[in-house]
Amino acid sequence: MFYRETGQFKTSYAADMQIFPIRQDRIALWVVLAIAFLGIPLLDQLQVWPFGGEYMLRAILIPFLILSLAAIGLNILTGYCGQLSLGSGAFMAIGAYSAYKFGTGVHIPLGLFNLSIPPLPVLPSILLGALMSAFVGILFGIPSLRIKGLYLAVATLAAQFFFDWVFIRVKWFTNYNSSGSVSAPDLNFFGYVVNTPIDRYLLCLVFVSIFALLAKNLVRGNIGRQWMATRDMDIAAELMGIRPLYAKLTAFAISSFIMGVAGALWAFVYLGAWEPLAFSIDRSFQILFMVIIGGLGSILGSFLGAAFILVLPIALDQVPHALGVPISVETVSHLVFIVTGTLICWLLIVEPRGFARLWLTGKEKLRLWPYPY
Amino acid sequence: MRAPDGPPVTSGDVLLSIDNVSLSFGGVKAISGVSFDIRKGEIRAIIGPNGAGKTSMLNIINGFYHPQQGIITFKGEARSKMRPHDAADGGIARTFQNVALFRGMSALDNIMAGRTLKMKRNMFWQMLRIGPALAEEVEHRHRVEEIIDFLKIQEIRRTPVSRLPYGLQKRVELGRALAMEPELLLLDEPMAGMNIEEKEDMSRFILDVNEHYGTTIALIEHDMGVVMDLSDRVVVLDHGIKIADGTPQEVKSNQAVIDAYLGVAH
Ligand SMILES: Nc1ncnc2c1ncn2[C@@H]1O[C@H](COP(=O)(O)OP(=O)(O)OP(=O)(O)O)[C@@H](O)[C@H]1O
Ligand SMILES: [Mg+2]
Repeated sequence: MFYRETGQFKTSYAADMQIFPIRQDRIALWVVLAIAFLGIPLLDQLQVWPFGGEYMLRAILIPFLILSLAAIGLNILTGYCGQLSLGSGAFMAIGAYSAYKFGTGVHIPLGLFNLSIPPLPVLPSILLGALMSAFVGILFGIPSLRIKGLYLAVATLAAQFFFDWVFIRVKWFTNYNSSGSVSAPDLNFFGYVVNTPIDRYLLCLVFVSIFALLAKNLVRGNIGRQWMATRDMDIAAELMGIRPLYAKLTAFAISSFIMGVAGALWAFVYLGAWEPLAFSIDRSFQILFMVIIGGLGSILGSFLGAAFILVLPIALDQVPHALGVPISVETVSHLVFIVTGTLICWLLIVEPRGFARLWLTGKEKLRLWPYPY
Repeated sequence: MRAPDGPPVTSGDVLLSIDNVSLSFGGVKAISGVSFDIRKGEIRAIIGPNGAGKTSMLNIINGFYHPQQGIITFKGEARSKMRPHDAADGGIARTFQNVALFRGMSALDNIMAGRTLKMKRNMFWQMLRIGPALAEEVEHRHRVEEIIDFLKIQEIRRTPVSRLPYGLQKRVELGRALAMEPELLLLDEPMAGMNIEEKEDMSRFILDVNEHYGTTIALIEHDMGVVMDLSDRVVVLDHGIKIADGTPQEVKSNQAVIDAYLGVAH
């Protein structure tokens, strides 16, 4: 009854082509943005639960935002373009370490001629780092023209292990730091140093909002249709003039660029100081699970999946405690595996497009309610 | 049959000609030395029993299969093989015997995908989706909506095509091909598996496309009634060999064709 497009006639295709053509959805989006940009900083200012202390921001919201961004990146490649990748961690790492190198100065001795770039400010460092990630993404995307599915996943897995090794073994990337751990440069944006948790949160929020919008524009435009066409039926796509080379490599490039930004934010803003382990194969799987659970081929789903994967262990930890059931840390981590695994199996069988599709189906029912047809 | 009393339609320049084309898969000869042409503006039927090589012929025309022998001349340009992209670029569109829609996309997006080659704004514009990029998207949406109206599929625009019944899927697939504004439209059994009513609708659409847009059509169809009604000229294949070529009348009374359809041993 309340969720309807009745009476909302579109007078132009431009209006019909908005991200959320139904008014209620648009209002919901603005409410979410208002809460995110104004409500949460206000609550933090007032130190109202759940923002007393920094736990909520540091341990939940900041990682949620960054991992959502990474999930958007992977979703473009796997969800929209249909290229399975297990190398998300590697692309995040490339973004992080390249941004670190650009932020601390790049010196490459080449015999007679030394390539030397002075330390750059944070923002260009992050973007250049992401560009490096996009470049490597394109290189590892080339095999996708020949190999598909599981075989491609193995190739991206090789990328993952290769870069794990590179960032541990090649001391140049860690500026010859003996422990192998590195610290992010100051987060100085145009003279303003981002430091407090709420500033860090807002910084991530800005990045995520911008990239989510750009990604959404891409997937609903011409290139997005080319990606999906390549995913769904590559032969028919080719016979319509869609070049598989172009579609797949752009998906690899955009996807690894976004994952590179996410990696740099993860290192600089969330961790502050990090080791190569932060971007191991576990990270790749975590992001893949977010995408599968949230919904392949959905930007909204990337957020839902990230929220679920992050909140699940916390909920499994807190809820039994609140109910007075003692539960050990190991049990919680086992439970997380069991629940995630079961859910993924169930979703893959029942609703391969994840929470986002369940959400859509729900909305469709709501639109017709109370009349089933 | 479109001109029951008048002379067979022979006017019109040759749009595509196939000269002595042969194709084999390992030991299987799918097509052996077939030659025929398609004239601008006509509806050209390709018929023949199962396995005759009809689909393979379309696959050669739009560059999906590369024949071992023969020359394909499209719009005056002779090639030993087409590349799929060049074929699409040159104005050849097609539908498939087994519907080959993009199953994860809505009907609207499927048809919009047919506009890919006509959309010129690069990725960075699309990312911003402002100014010229938005204008381009709207402009092509207008063209696509015309096709949607023409095919009477307004109600199902937003439906994922995998949820549509077979007949509507075929219609969306035709829409996707039309969105390419092709000069030559290849239809591989567009009416297979349809009931009478759906067949009539589809026949109507095919005739309208041919008449209003002047699109040249190559049509594979098993239903002889439909072939007789729609086509200007018919080429008959059997076991990869051309056994007849002419007006529907001529072909219908051709002894070789009758034998092929009745399964007389060769
Ligand atoms: N990709 C392929 N690999 C091997 N053999 C093939 C291939 N495509 C077609 N053939 C063979 O070529 C011959 C012609 O097939 P084609 O699909 O062109 O026939 P058709 O006339 O379209 O038949 P139908 O009416 O059943 O659609 C058949 O013997 C078929 O088995
Ligand atoms: Mg066939």
